[in-house]
Amino acid sequence: MGEFEVHRVRFFGLVPAGVRCLACQPRGGRLALARTDGAVEVYNFAANYFQEKVIPGHEARSVEALCWTAGDRLFGAGLGGDITEYDLARLCAAHSVDGGGGPIWSMAANGSGTLLAIGCEDGSVKLFQIVPGGIQFERNLDRRKGRILCLSWHPSGTHIAAGSIDVLRVFDVCSGQTVQRIMVNYTMQNAKRECIVWSIAFLSSGTVVTSDSFGRVQFWDWERGTLLESHTVSTSAVLSLAVSEKEDSIIVGTSTGATYQFQLLPVKMGSLEKRWVRTKPFQHHTHDVRAVAHSSTALISGGLDAQLVIRPLMEKMQKKGYDAVLRKFIFPHRRLVSCARKARLLLFQFSQHLELWRLGSTDGTGKDGEVLPLRRMPEHLVQLKSKGPEHIYCSCVSPCGSWLAYSTASRFHLYRVRYEGNSVSVKKVPKVPKLLLPAYQLQFSSDSGSLFVASARGSVHVLQLLEPGGCKHLHTFRPPSGSPEAVYLLAVSADGHWLAAVGGDWAIHIYNLKCFKHHCTVPTYSCAVTALAIHPVSNNLVIAYSDQQLFEFSIPEKQYTAWSRMVQNCGLHKVWLERDSPITHITFNPKNPSHILLHDVYMFCVLDKSLPLPDNSALLMNQSTLKQLPETARQRQLHAFKICKKFQPLLFADLLDENCLVMVERPIMDIKTQLPLPIQKKKFGT
Amino acid sequence: MAGRQKAAAAAGKRGPPAALLSPPSSEDEAPEEVSFGVAREAAETQRKLVGAAARRHRELLKEKRRRRQELFAEQKKRKLLPEAVLQELAAAPPAGAEAQAAAADRGKRRGGGAAKQRQGQAQRQVKKNERRKGGARSEGNYMAVRLKDQSLIGLHQQLAKDFLNTQLYGPGTNRVQANEFFSLENKKNPVKKAAVQFVDQSWGQEKKQRAMRFKKRWLATQIKRSGV
Repeated sequence: MGEFEVHRVRFFGLVPAGVRCLACQPRGGRLALARTDGAVEVYNFAANYFQEKVIPGHEARSVEALCWTAGDRLFGAGLGGDITEYDLARLCAAHSVDGGGGPIWSMAANGSGTLLAIGCEDGSVKLFQIVPGGIQFERNLDRRKGRILCLSWHPSGTHIAAGSIDVLRVFDVCSGQTVQRIMVNYTMQNAKRECIVWSIAFLSSGTVVTSDSFGRVQFWDWERGTLLESHTVSTSAVLSLAVSEKEDSIIVGTSTGATYQFQLLPVKMGSLEKRWVRTKPFQHHTHDVRAVAHSSTALISGGLDAQLVIRPLMEKMQKKGYDAVLRKFIFPHRRLVSCARKARLLLFQFSQHLELWRLGSTDGTGKDGEVLPLRRMPEHLVQLKSKGPEHIYCSCVSPCGSWLAYSTASRFHLYRVRYEGNSVSVKKVPKVPKLLLPAYQLQFSSDSGSLFVASARGSVHVLQLLEPGGCKHLHTFRPPSGSPEAVYLLAVSADGHWLAAVGGDWAIHIYNLKCFKHHCTVPTYSCAVTALAIHPVSNNLVIAYSDQQLFEFSIPEKQYTAWSRMVQNCGLHKVWLERDSPITHITFNPKNPSHILLHDVYMFCVLDKSLPLPDNSALLMNQSTLKQLPETARQRQLHAFKICKKFQPLLFADLLDENCLVMVERPIMDIKTQLPLPIQKKKFGT
Repeated sequence: MAGRQKAAAAAGKRGPPAALLSPPSSEDEAPEEVSFGVAREAAETQRKLVGAAARRHRELLKEKRRRRQELFAEQKKRKLLPEAVLQELAAAPPAGAEAQAAAADRGKRRGGGAAKQRQGQAQRQVKKNERRKGGARSEGNYMAVRLKDQSLIGLHQQLAKDFLNTQLYGPGTNRVQANEFFSLENKKNPVKKAAVQFVDQSWGQEKKQRAMRFKKRWLATQIKRSGV
């Protein structure tokens, strides 16, 4: 693998926002997720649970409910009182309609996805009709006192059950009247505390399932107004509830971070009578689980500890394999760190500000595993706060470190950074050309002379950077057959000749920068691209897909390279394909043209194309065993994948120069200590 | 004895019939026969007595009240400036008085706005200097905000957020600090470790300061020694 001096960076203070809402797309295989800071993300199940779309948040936007409706449209509503439709092609909030009832606590779409019901702060349930281009207010249902905290449609669309404080109501949709009102805290002696119904579900058999703040999951018969079953699962509140499509399984999430599964099981073997039984307890989270969803094969939960946990159900899986494994996602599937190699600078992207740091330096040398003393500490040079309430989409720093750019939903900023001795000055570049905002990805060329801006509808803008501090629009590339989706990944060749761009439709287009023409398109693959890079010497495009496949495409020859064909023929190692997180960054070593450096959240790998590929019987992570072997034995067991798992969780890894690496880690404990307070766990003997 | 005689004499002067006031003789005898007219007269005189007493009481109160009012009027007059000065002030700039009234008005509105500011979200603020054009006004600790920016929506949203906060993190929810929560694992592990404690920068302030002072002194002596 070689000897490297590693700059181990742990001062990136990223704290991901907690998960607030989850919504499974019916019959689509996608999951929409909303965070507490207003960001909305879409995960694609088929593409190995890749986070394919991210809409950054907004200071004033709080999302309390998310709904998929007919035509794969995504709607969100929150405490701001607006119903917002999210444009998933342009990755922004498309338009919003004021609900008219104050803050909106809950929203639900009916079975056919044509009507939206919202539960408001003033106690009213309002119905909206979904029309092409937006939504239209239809009517109000009967309004009573008490905020409506949760809503559920009956699968047939005739009734709506709504949970409020101390009471649960059932409305008849046609007449709009309240047909049943059930007091929820009737049996509790502790009448001083009010019983909040946090979530509700309406089953087609006429049973209403509620979860409340006393830690109970209760099943009601709405017509008679009686309690059928009551299960106390926790001493703290049960915050969320989701029912499977077949209505035989329910998942509930509690404030302590535990999730439970309820299943409808026959009382005796073969008997027709069925009862709800609490079957599986899970403790995947440390903080409140405020969102749960039930897909056809998995239980999905998202907590305020920023984790998304997908637990496939074994009884639904055909075979035991990697499909049935527990998946936990805490970090985004994109790069949040940019590195200026020559200037040894790192740019950290937070949701509302950027930080520019200079790495420290050391004089000492040492052996493998030693920690060298620092001669100069890493310095925090610049902190740039983004103006306005919008969160940052993307940011980048040029390789020489003198240009900095970032984009929010409606603003694009370019800065010139000057270093005079010990001081740093940042000056905004005025008169930036007007582009269609937002920019989804920014990339500087290797000579810091141009800036590439990824935009909507598959287009990429080329801006020329002028000294001493100016910018000019040179050209806009568009894919030959237009594309409705936005470009989310860019790669530039070191000689400034080629540009590769990937859009939301997963098609990779390569453009010629010398004559400003489209060069070719990489053959489409059935999975999303997670990382892209162009080799400085051979101009080969290395592509990493979300199903952990690796391809190498030769740009001048417009075809896959021989090495890539060999990899596809032999197949990648099973352990490599069963990794949990996607590769987010690919880079190269200019001194060693056959090396490819990649990393994901849990490993860093140097891929040596000149060595043979491992087959499934060989050990993939064999670096530690190789170290102990004598030289001759080592030669026999060497293979192309040299993996290091010492630095975890890894947010970014890059090669600074010949034998210097930088690794940006984010220990999970550092995140957990900055989250909101968890519920106390009493353990015997402590 | 003397008092009783005086009372009897006084009673005698008023003149109720002696028959009514005569002390009762022995209990065996029947009550005395009194004629109707005599009784009527007795009742009338009695009524007149009571009425006179009440009238006198009322007069006394009225007199007291009148005296108190006069006293207050006197005190008020003493507090105000002499007549001449007041007249002068009343005549002098009426424009000044209007500006004062307008300022008082704006002050009231500002007070209301400031109260709403506390409840609403962060809003744009009009600079204090912009308003200083018209009329002299005293320097005060206030914040000028645009009422247009304060909206009812912000207030509703804040109430909703407060409700959510109290329900999830308020009293009775059994929340615990992060270090206590994560120390549990350290305590229950097979290899027991210390509890998680967050470093507080204020620990050992005195020791740190003393060390710094010592370092300065020591460096100074070193420099002096090497200099010499």
